[in-house]
Amino acid sequence: MICAGIDGGSRAIKIVLIDGESQQILASGTRDQGVNHDELATELFEKLLRSISADRDEVKRIIATGYTRNRIHLADTTVTEITCHAIGVRRQVPDAMTIIEIGGQDSKLLRLEPNGAVRDFAMNDRCAAGTGRFLEVVAARLDTPLHTLGKLAARSQRPASISSTCVVFAESEIIGLLSSGTPREDIVAGVQAAIAQRMAAMAGRELGEPIVFTGGVALVPGMPEAMENVLGRKVKVAPEPQMTGALGAAVLAARQCVGAACSGR
Amino acid sequence: MNDLPAQITLDQWAERYRQLCDGGLREPWYGGPLARHVADGDYRLLRLRYDNSAAALRLWNFLLTEESRLFKARQEGKKIIGTMKDLGTVPIMVYSLPNAIAFYPDGAWWVPCIMENTTRDLSIANSLGIDESFCPVRAMLGAFVACEHFPQPDLLICSVGATCDDFSAIAQRLASVGYPPFWWEIPHRRRPDPDEPAVTLPGGFAAPVSQVAFVKGELQRIRRELSTICSRELTDDMLAAGIRVANRVRGMLRELRQLVFTAPRCPLPALELLIAEMLAIHYCSDRDQTLAVYQDLLNEVRRRVADNQGLFPADPARIFWVNPVADLRAMNLLEECGGRLCGTEFLFCHALDEIPEDVPPMDALAQMALADPMVGSAGDRAMRICNDARRLNAEAVLISRIPGASHCALEGQVIREMIESELRLPVLELEVPPLSDAVGPAIRTRIEALVEAVRQRRAR
Repeated sequence: MICAGIDGGSRAIKIVLIDGESQQILASGTRDQGVNHDELATELFEKLLRSISADRDEVKRIIATGYTRNRIHLADTTVTEITCHAIGVRRQVPDAMTIIEIGGQDSKLLRLEPNGAVRDFAMNDRCAAGTGRFLEVVAARLDTPLHTLGKLAARSQRPASISSTCVVFAESEIIGLLSSGTPREDIVAGVQAAIAQRMAAMAGRELGEPIVFTGGVALVPGMPEAMENVLGRKVKVAPEPQMTGALGAAVLAARQCVGAACSGR
Repeated sequence: MNDLPAQITLDQWAERYRQLCDGGLREPWYGGPLARHVADGDYRLLRLRYDNSAAALRLWNFLLTEESRLFKARQEGKKIIGTMKDLGTVPIMVYSLPNAIAFYPDGAWWVPCIMENTTRDLSIANSLGIDESFCPVRAMLGAFVACEHFPQPDLLICSVGATCDDFSAIAQRLASVGYPPFWWEIPHRRRPDPDEPAVTLPGGFAAPVSQVAFVKGELQRIRRELSTICSRELTDDMLAAGIRVANRVRGMLRELRQLVFTAPRCPLPALELLIAEMLAIHYCSDRDQTLAVYQDLLNEVRRRVADNQGLFPADPARIFWVNPVADLRAMNLLEECGGRLCGTEFLFCHALDEIPEDVPPMDALAQMALADPMVGSAGDRAMRICNDARRLNAEAVLISRIPGASHCALEGQVIREMIESELRLPVLELEVPPLSDAVGPAIRTRIEALVEAVRQRRAR
């Protein structure tokens, strides 16, 4: 019995296939998001099935999560990314108490109960400050590939002070800093600190540990360290952080199948 | 005819209206099919879902015909008094006079949503330097200048002092373009010093006697001005009678809320409850009809509760909602995401409390005005919300906010922290723009996640 989780994010689609009984990962994959969310998700799903020589009939349950979850028609049901990240992270880090998730468009902070249930959560408001989009804007403005931002930031001697409340303000500030000769590495380090500060403001005072950092932005070199500096706590990066939402959706699909009438789709 | 409660679309209301008429529906003069308001420009109605009862139809028709009612009152020679910022106290004084009605110009903040930005209100406000960075109540400024949505009032009364700075700026700009309000001051409600004489206000907070006396003095000025404008002395007896009727209105609304919040099956949708609560501020320009609208709603809700009828799937998450939304669609979303209202605090809970009848009427009104949640500290407001959420067995709290609108920038955080520490409930702060279609999926995600968190806590 195969169960699937599909995370239709704003920047990428992620899919995890697991064995429904053992909950072992059978296949996982990702591709860039586009306009035809459903079609792109279906193509990736079928590609993953082919990679493990499985048929669609063998998939007993599919849960979609993420920004485009309601556009993915092959899913049996949808669950928000809040719940899915909580389940996905707990699967990887069973004692996680706080989750920081920064994706392409959203940033979230989840506080968990000891049993893994979501106790409370906070999300960014409409501004993309504090999200992956912020880093994309910076990379474009600095004419630097996104994946090299971390290396650049590591060379910083004196991170610049940059607004954490608004991407547009921040972009204006970056232009100002560039024109005043501020080194690019200091600007990037300043942006990373701004994202971390934004998250710290969302976190408030009560943060249970371990704190797990997940979402695509956790892969950006320098971001985990920036987060630790601002929070003053150790931050653990989830294994394959961009996949935790899809993994959580797949695990939830499997849980829903166990003992339930999931004999066919 | 199927009388089971349901939420229906505007299209479905056409058929439902025909059924009700066939069943002998009797309507007041402002009755009629709901869809006719779309022809008047109320396009947002096309995107909402409504309770299917005749009582709800009457509520909506009453709300959406206020403009006609105001012009009719003008033709009948009544004095039209715009009561700004004050939410619920000065209108009681106005309605105590037989030849005056109050309306709420600030209510124009809903116009851009209801009419989906097809009016000039906001562009006029922009042209007057009151741009999008201000509270959406700036639509009121455009409405005055464009002479749209309500007749020009005979008197405008506006409170200052412990009011939000955006509103003060907008009201001052209004004065500068030829609509000078009669200003009165409401002080920031402070906790009495240990040995200072104090009064317990409706709603439970205390204020120094000296502050009540000050507000009473301000209300006396309003009383004199109203007497002059209406050519009739506003006596204590008239005010006492006005307070008695206000208490009837409030009593009915309290019963309605209690039933809606506590019935095992939700007997009235969140959207209709929000509208019903709004009527309590100024009676939507007709106090008698407000009583009639409430009576119909109460009868319907009592019947549904007695018959164990309700809306929505079983056991929705019980959500306490803080602050009103400009986009009414958000109230529908709560239920579409698996929640139901179990309590509300839409910034004017003092307009729902019983007004003391055992003290002189001007003292009672002064106490009432000082009980306004917006004139006290954010901590006071948070405490009342906490107490109500606890009493009503809330499973989560949703604090909505509107971009640009806040009388206290950090109030959401203060409320959140108190709820988290006192009740250990999940709290969602949610920004809902006046037209939220573009961020609809993001809003839906947040509300769904809140409901999921509630369900996980139940399963724990």
